[in-house]
Amino acid sequence: MNSKGRRVAVLGTGNIGADLGERLLLDKDFELVAVVGRRSDSPGLQRFQGRVPHVLSGGITALLEIVNDFDGVFDGTSAHDHLHHWDVLHAANKWVIDLTPSRLGQPLVPALVGQVDAMVLNDNFSWNYSMISCGGQSSAVILHAICENAVDIEEVEISSSIAALSAGPATRTNIDEYIDTTENLARIVSGCAKAKSILVLNPADPPIMMRTTVHVKAAHFDLEKITIRAQQLVEGIQKYVPGYDIVLKPYLNAEGHVTATAKVTGAGYVLPEYAGNLDIINSAAVETARLHLQKLI
Amino acid sequence: MTITNFYDVTLRDGNHALRHQLTSKFVGEYCQLADSSGVWAVEVGHGNGLGASSFLVGKSSTSDEGLLVAAREGLRNSKLAVHAIPGFATIKRDIYPALEVGVEVFRVATHVTEATVAQTHIEYLANRGAIVHGVLMMSHMTNIAGILEQAKLMKKYGASAVILMDSAGHFVPSDVADRVSALKGEIDLEVGFHAHNNLGVAISNAMIAVKNGASIVDGSSMGLGAGSGNAQLENIVANYGRAHLDGTKLREYLQMSRLVESAFEDYLPRTNSSSVESGMAGVFSGYAPQVKQISSEMGIEQEELWNEIGRRRLVAGQESMIREIAQDLMNL
Repeated sequence: MNSKGRRVAVLGTGNIGADLGERLLLDKDFELVAVVGRRSDSPGLQRFQGRVPHVLSGGITALLEIVNDFDGVFDGTSAHDHLHHWDVLHAANKWVIDLTPSRLGQPLVPALVGQVDAMVLNDNFSWNYSMISCGGQSSAVILHAICENAVDIEEVEISSSIAALSAGPATRTNIDEYIDTTENLARIVSGCAKAKSILVLNPADPPIMMRTTVHVKAAHFDLEKITIRAQQLVEGIQKYVPGYDIVLKPYLNAEGHVTATAKVTGAGYVLPEYAGNLDIINSAAVETARLHLQKLI
Repeated sequence: MTITNFYDVTLRDGNHALRHQLTSKFVGEYCQLADSSGVWAVEVGHGNGLGASSFLVGKSSTSDEGLLVAAREGLRNSKLAVHAIPGFATIKRDIYPALEVGVEVFRVATHVTEATVAQTHIEYLANRGAIVHGVLMMSHMTNIAGILEQAKLMKKYGASAVILMDSAGHFVPSDVADRVSALKGEIDLEVGFHAHNNLGVAISNAMIAVKNGASIVDGSSMGLGAGSGNAQLENIVANYGRAHLDGTKLREYLQMSRLVESAFEDYLPRTNSSSVESGMAGVFSGYAPQVKQISSEMGIEQEELWNEIGRRRLVAGQESMIREIAQDLMNL
């Protein structure tokens, strides 16, 4: 891959931004040129001093001052701020991976590219991919495996529990947006209009590992095919999220009701293992950017 | 002394005991009786509140809207109230429609250490002019300093009261006295208390909360509620009347109690070995049906399952972990 297109900036220096920065520094497919926050004294910015060419504290305005030095942006700020960020970044012909639950861009789960109609890569260089939510990324493959082998789906549900320590201020104030965007993903993957999402924070010490449970109600299931398909898709997601695993294999919970649970253990770039929720969304973000560039360049 | 507001959770917490099968017909009937009792507010909905009908916790047979509309028609004097847990309920999907139906009191609830999750919802409701209470669920899972810190946050967001929930029925009266008096001593806001009867002291806990300055006290008719149920509202009222020579209409509360007793004879909660085990282990009362079902299905002792759930410090809303924990216990 040549250098065109792969020079990237990380916007936001909270848990998500700091972890993304560390990942991108280690990834030979990308060149991390800027890390951008709001406050110059934030620990998320401090850690990149001297390690990244541009460590900027003036938010999107500061980033636009070096507009010719980068091609793509990972936005780990908030759903509200992302709306403005995309406006100006699209005008500047940048590609953007949105890690906020803004629901603005095209939802993408890398493991489902080519498997679900809506999960396709776009031909435009300047494009906005939404990483949905950690609940969306962790449920999508199981949900797809079940729904692909179900007849007359009536209702789907995604519930996740995450360690309270891994949920920063933006996650907490954006909890409604989280639910909304996760339910939207559930509808896209299942093709079923009736979708529900639930998020629970658990403060236990030592912290819990993230769990996501999928429920599907339908007239008929082929449980054997679901199990095989789920295993295939899990192997696909494990390529970029090694800590992903099914802990409750798809089972018939009641007549016409299949349930399964996945566990996500974090890779621990910046945060400890319990932050599987951050790991899966950041892993998906980097993988999506990689696929986008592979297709275009 | 301050006026005590009785807060009736029969039609919300009681819905746990009914596996969320409460009907709008019963809600309408009950609300007409409750309205003449002088009870301050009647809380209505799924056991986990607005937007919580789910495979995870249990499906409601009647929608939130259906239940709330029926209650609204029955209530003229008492206020219509709901419980809303961010993570289950959202403003757009659940809270705004409830405002439109005419809900007057919103209790925005989080796990006792996670009040920040409720900031958006409490601020929104306070700005809309609704009465907003912040609820700290599973309040036995942190210390008094932790409770004070979280209560201050809820007050800052705009809650006019903070309600301590003993969701696991783990407290004894001295625990309640220490916590309620600390809150009253440190923070200028109304305090409420919500008991569960796992250890058989729900009514005592409610009364000791009042004695220590709680001005809102939760109860339910016949104790209808999750696990071993709540403090019986009619008994709280009777105790309160004896202590304060108060003219509260006990007769009306007893009618509400009779209605519940005759309608739900087979669902009335009681304190039994399983509920004592869950109370001692400090586990959310609402898990009782799942623990009962999974332990019998997999052939393990309920006590063993309760203790392991307690050891792993599960909070409300983690029902799907129960099966995984049971599998772990059986080394599956």
